[in-house]
Amino acid sequence: MEAVLQIENLTKNFGRLCAVNKMNLEVGKGQVFGMLGPNGSGKTTTLGMLMSVVNPSSGGFKWFGQESTNDTRKKIGAVLEHPIFYPYLTGQKNLELTAMIKGATADQITSVLKLVELSDRKDDKYKTYSLGMKQRLAIASALLNDPQVLILDEPTNGLDPMGISEIRELIKKIASDGRTIILASHLLDEVQKVCTHFAVLKKGNMVYSGPVEDVNKGPEIVEVNADVDLSEVLNTFQGASAINRENGYFEVTLTKGIKGHDLNKFLFEKGITATHLVTKKRSLEKQFLEILAESK
Amino acid sequence: MLHLLRIDLKKLTNYRTFWIVCGLYFFTLGMTTASGMEFLKWLVRMGASFGTQINIARIPFYHFPDVWQNITFVSGFFKAILAFMVVISITNEFTYRTVRQNVIDGLSRYQFLISKVLTNILLSAMSMVMVFIIALVTGLIYSPSVEMVDLVMDLEFFAAYFLEVFAFLSFALLLGMVIQRSGLTIVLLVLSQMIEAIIRANVDDYVPWLIPYFPMESISNLIPMPFPKYVFMEIQDYVSISAVLIAGAWTFIFNYLAYLKLKKSDI
Repeated sequence: MEAVLQIENLTKNFGRLCAVNKMNLEVGKGQVFGMLGPNGSGKTTTLGMLMSVVNPSSGGFKWFGQESTNDTRKKIGAVLEHPIFYPYLTGQKNLELTAMIKGATADQITSVLKLVELSDRKDDKYKTYSLGMKQRLAIASALLNDPQVLILDEPTNGLDPMGISEIRELIKKIASDGRTIILASHLLDEVQKVCTHFAVLKKGNMVYSGPVEDVNKGPEIVEVNADVDLSEVLNTFQGASAINRENGYFEVTLTKGIKGHDLNKFLFEKGITATHLVTKKRSLEKQFLEILAESK
Repeated sequence: MLHLLRIDLKKLTNYRTFWIVCGLYFFTLGMTTASGMEFLKWLVRMGASFGTQINIARIPFYHFPDVWQNITFVSGFFKAILAFMVVISITNEFTYRTVRQNVIDGLSRYQFLISKVLTNILLSAMSMVMVFIIALVTGLIYSPSVEMVDLVMDLEFFAAYFLEVFAFLSFALLLGMVIQRSGLTIVLLVLSQMIEAIIRANVDDYVPWLIPYFPMESISNLIPMPFPKYVFMEIQDYVSISAVLIAGAWTFIFNYLAYLKLKKSDI
């Protein structure tokens, strides 16, 4: 796999606070890479260092296998934290300015504006835009000059459900062109829906990184209930590693290799018919909370 | 280089405040410097009503080559307005955080600074050209006789004027970059002259030779005040090389410090 980004021991200290601590990470070409972490975990600081607006305290990184220069950044489209534009300029003029910096052509401005559906409002001043329009203009600006890599930091922040789903579709569309996307977010659902890989940050430390598919690989959890009280019966089941009562159901975490049908069979042999038996799909949210809890 | 200038000009030429401030600057600069004769006539009328006789003919304010030094000296006072525009331009980049996005989009920090410095050079040059035209036109109107020798004499005052404006704009750019807020920067920019004067007054008692090396002092030393000569006092009617060297060194230092500041900070 061709690496687009390699991070080595990247560290940033703000005085005594360590915002990013010796991070090592590799992002491959074509990946949609999700960066997860609670607020203040160092996501934006990391992205800021990758885009040379924050000076690293130590360590380094390589884009496309080379030391980063300003010309490298022209091949990367990035929106960090929130959209930044000149409020007194129109959307069109703002993009013209970005295009001048990146060396993009005028045709591209027209096409990115069309892509984010802002063509109608392009001659209005940026300060008159709604939050959703600002976000979309930022994505349009990041797409100028046909970037190899797209970095989006909380791209759906403050958007309404329709806006969120539009942006999600846009990300999928861009990713399907084979472009690499790095997406920082605390919306886990969003990351699970669009990302192929993810990493979890906590207080500046990277506590996990791996493919999103692996999320479903862990032990299975089965929700079960019957007309009779199951608490004692379930305790005798060999395949359970944990049993919890939740929402009126028993939540059984199975040991490795045991599946939901094994539990069903076990209950049936005990003469009990289950009225409710569901194998729960593990969500990234659960995994995320587990990772954060484990890393304490 | 030209590309960087065009980037910064695109930000400014679509900004209404820029046109208003620059328009007012060139308007007041032009009106003030060109209407000196009217002021002298007014002085005569006032003097006459108090029984004093003033002979304008004895004050060759707009005569070649006096006009060069006179007008460049007076015009120097207006550079503060141009400096306010520079402060607004740079502090906007920090309040809107657009400097951050410019760097993300692919400008290096050095290129960003150069784009601002080039604009400063352009503004200084435009101001110089404007002042030259006013001095030339008023000189042609009011000089009793126009001799080529007088016309080309003392033209070095325009080079000194350019340096005076550019040095001050460089200072404004540095101050704006360090403070990052327009209001506070403008207040400090105005006060910096006074603060330096206070320091100078105290230093003068102990190490008087140090005085010409102060930054604001060095900028104002470029074009010495010409008027005392009309009351028959000795004045310096040339641009001193040492003044140019000191002011030039400060200009370099201002821009270099701005570069260091931008390079080291997280934006």
